[in-house]
Amino acid sequence: IATMEDYDYLFKIVLVGNAGVGKTCLVRRFTQGLFPPGQGATIGVDFMIKTVEIKGMKVKLQIWDTAGQERFRSITQSYYRSANALILTYDITCEDSFRCLPEWLREIEQYANNQVVTILVGNKTDLAERREVPVRRAEEFAEAQSMLYLETSAKESDNVEKLFLDLACELIREAQQNTLDNTDRAPVPGEGKPISYLSCCSVN
Amino acid sequence: ISAVEDLTVAGDNARRLGSFAGLTESVLAAACSRVGQKVLHLDRRNYYAGNWASFTFNSLLSWIQEYKAQQEMPSTESDQAWVGKIEEGEDMLPLSSVDSSIINLEVFSYASEESEDEEVVTPSVANSFPKDSEAANEEPSGSSVEPQHSDSPGDRTQGAAEPPKQETEPSEACKNRQMPETQQSNQSEESDKQEQPITRPAEAPIELNKRITYAKLLKEGRRFNIDLVSKLLYSRGSLVDLLIKSNVSRYAEFKNVNRILICRDGRVKQVPCSRADVFGSKQLNVVEKRMLMKFLTFCLDFEQHPEEFQGFSEKPFWEFLKSQKLTENLQHFVLHSISMADQEILTEEGLKATQHFLQCLGRYGNTPFLFPLYGLGEIPQCFCRMCAVFGGIYCLRHSVQCLVVDKESGKCKAVIDTHGQRISCNHFVVEDSYIREEQRTKTSHRQISRAVVITDRSVLSYESDQQISLVTVPPLEFSSPAVRAVELSSSSMTCMPGTYLVHLTCPASGSAREDLAPVISNLFHVPNSSGEEPMQGTEKPLALWVMYFNMRDTSGLDSSCYSLPSNVHVCTGPDASLGCDYSIKLAESMFNQLLPDEEFCPPAPNPEDIIYDGDGAPGEGASFEETNHAERSGPEGEGQPQENGQPSSESSEPAESTDSVAPETNTESKVQISPTEE
Ligand SMILES: Cc1cc2nc3c(=O)[nH]c(=O)nc-3n(C[C@H](O)[C@H](O)[C@H](O)COP(=O)(O)OP(=O)(O)OC[C@H]3O[C@@H](n4cnc5c(N)ncnc54)[C@H](O)[C@@H]3O)c2cc1C
Ligand SMILES: Nc1nc2c(ncn2[C@@H]2O[C@H](COP(=O)(O)OP(=O)(O)O)[C@@H](O)[C@H]2O)c(=O)[nH]1
Ligand SMILES: [Mg+2]
Repeated sequence: IATMEDYDYLFKIVLVGNAGVGKTCLVRRFTQGLFPPGQGATIGVDFMIKTVEIKGMKVKLQIWDTAGQERFRSITQSYYRSANALILTYDITCEDSFRCLPEWLREIEQYANNQVVTILVGNKTDLAERREVPVRRAEEFAEAQSMLYLETSAKESDNVEKLFLDLACELIREAQQNTLDNTDRAPVPGEGKPISYLSCCSVN
Repeated sequence: ISAVEDLTVAGDNARRLGSFAGLTESVLAAACSRVGQKVLHLDRRNYYAGNWASFTFNSLLSWIQEYKAQQEMPSTESDQAWVGKIEEGEDMLPLSSVDSSIINLEVFSYASEESEDEEVVTPSVANSFPKDSEAANEEPSGSSVEPQHSDSPGDRTQGAAEPPKQETEPSEACKNRQMPETQQSNQSEESDKQEQPITRPAEAPIELNKRITYAKLLKEGRRFNIDLVSKLLYSRGSLVDLLIKSNVSRYAEFKNVNRILICRDGRVKQVPCSRADVFGSKQLNVVEKRMLMKFLTFCLDFEQHPEEFQGFSEKPFWEFLKSQKLTENLQHFVLHSISMADQEILTEEGLKATQHFLQCLGRYGNTPFLFPLYGLGEIPQCFCRMCAVFGGIYCLRHSVQCLVVDKESGKCKAVIDTHGQRISCNHFVVEDSYIREEQRTKTSHRQISRAVVITDRSVLSYESDQQISLVTVPPLEFSSPAVRAVELSSSSMTCMPGTYLVHLTCPASGSAREDLAPVISNLFHVPNSSGEEPMQGTEKPLALWVMYFNMRDTSGLDSSCYSLPSNVHVCTGPDASLGCDYSIKLAESMFNQLLPDEEFCPPAPNPEDIIYDGDGAPGEGASFEETNHAERSGPEGEGQPQENGQPSSESSEPAESTDSVAPETNTESKVQISPTEE
């Protein structure tokens, strides 16, 4: 489908992980370049959009935060639908947030698309002196689950750009791979349309 | 759960609180949260949407197990946790801990129980009739038949006895088996067009000719999203309007319902819907076409021609149809497949329904209906997401045990959860199933009969095997209601490729199985249905798995049917009708009652034009979470320093916007997050 939008790719990226690991900070650091003080939820912000340029292509990233629903393990299934990539986040200074990862993976497996790209992110590297999860352990875990892995600091802006840009590169690679593989270009099953898109052909 | 302590903090700040579940509750929660009310959503279940939920095959099986366990060991209402939480001048009003809104649940499995491996070694065998039949002999019995506390006692024994019967007549079962290979050869009238290539999703190359085993259903279980409530969205109905108006539509995707079918005399036919359909239809002769066009044109603006239906204002619609010189065929089309009405509907209502149908045509597709990808259960979740985005707090697996009622004002001032925690609130919104008998002045005895069938092919094969169809089955006897079936293909993301998910619904007259089993054996080949042979030359889909249940229909109840404090609001429904309008209208009227001066679900801001709280000030609706806000809320680390050294190409934020995010600002700042300028 030809679009008139000014981008080459649009990807939906979704963050999950325990409350307090820094998901919201990562998103805001990347999209707005700031580290919000305080822990207050950002009211009314649904997802953030940022367009980046990779190898001359405009890539629009739609980044979805949990809206706080992870707090009581009550993320809606619909949150995972049609995500192209998942950022599974834990806090390197909080063992507990790491131990919860398998639980998150189960949820991802249940509700996310099979082909979703998952990246494991250990956040808060600026607090190295309080580290509870050794790099080695996280690397092994990521490898066992065939996930990408990266450590970041939303506060110091360490690796945050890299996180999203790496992800975008990986998504582009997969997208190009897919178009190569699907020579017969079967329509994607369940290729639904947002209402806004459907309505563009109506008089209303 | 750590949730417990956190919720205490929530307590005193809560201005509105709900124990939400279904569509009405979710919409109301979203609407309240959207205009700045604090919403806490508690649900005793571990899934969203209550009776509107949708399940993967595996989680549906667990849900069935839980249901059975509850039937065998009904948990007694225990009132302990509140002891000591009630203060002077307060009364305690318990909520029900037993959900009895679903009854008569029965499950039958007809999918082969051979292992998948066996199936894989013999893919070609499926094409040869005798061997296929042999395989069919190993047909399993109904995997589980629940002992019910059924309304009709006779039903129980019958249900328990039936499924194993097939073992005594295996040959019968294989004789009836239809050859899967023939399913692609279209026998429908439209088939004279060229064969269209069957497109299979790359993700799952499941051969059409392969029989589907029970193991396969389990293995591919997560591809199913099986709704408990089956409804469609009228393209100009109140739900679609609300989704668009509120911007909640961006959380979901939709497909058009492609076909409207009707099953008469054991044959499934397509109902002509658009003008093009009518003219192209091979089932209608020229005279009929003209009749129908004339009649439908009249319906479009029937209000302008009151003389046409004057004598019929107190008479049923079908009598009016009869008087219109429509052939019987056309009367059926109009009554059951266009007005979607039942026999009793009065003329004016019938005309209105027909008009609504016609007005909905052509907005998004060639039928008036939309269906959400991944099932209807997505829709309540989308509204929950909107509620959360505006600060609503969600907590599943957390039940409210009782209400605390102030003796003087007679109002509910707090609730106590099952952990004994007291949470204060100004309003409490609750689903009907939480209300105990003692608080009812009137009970609803209406039920909805539901069946879910997984089949191996469509009831009417067509060029594409990815149709979504609405099938009306008019009643056999005049008095009983029509049965509505929604047939979903895998493109709706509600079933695995190679299967179809069929939802049957009707207002109950007996148990779900009594009401729907005859229709199911009419539409499908049910291996053990006694003596029922498919008509010669027809290719009925094979029923692989069937579930029946009744859901209580509380849509007839209103606030006068409960004796509850005035700030406790009960959500009723779902109703038995095809659209979602009942639930949306109820949510809107409840909202207007709660907050008469506020707008109902104004559009959420566009993410490209996001409004968010200035960071220095605690977010308005965030106070539930502010446990350690104080120590963190210092102005350190605000945007400016980092902003200077922005890496070039990815900077997406206009520099000036950071000014308004200064720590001291208490006002909301508008931040435009625009695409890169480079
Ligand atoms: C059997 C039957 C008979 C009907 N007869 C009439 C009738 O006589 N008069 C009447 O007003 N309504 C009639 N309707 C109702 C009509 O189909 C609906 O009200 C519909 O919304 C009007 O659009 P349409 O008929 O053009 O829809 P469709 O033919 O289904 O058109 C689908 C889409 O194409 C667009 N479209 C269709 N024709 C044109 C056109 N000429 N130019 C530009 N765009 C077009 C529509 O806007 C719509 O988006 C009939 C409906 C049925 C089922
Ligand atoms: N030191 C440090 N603190 C961080 C970092 N990222 C987030 N935080 C803090 O961790 C807390 C939770 O962050 P938040 O983004 O709200 O987490 P979320 O619940 O996962 O969205 C906040 O107090 C942040 O200030 C980081 O990289 N380093
Ligand atoms: Mg957050």
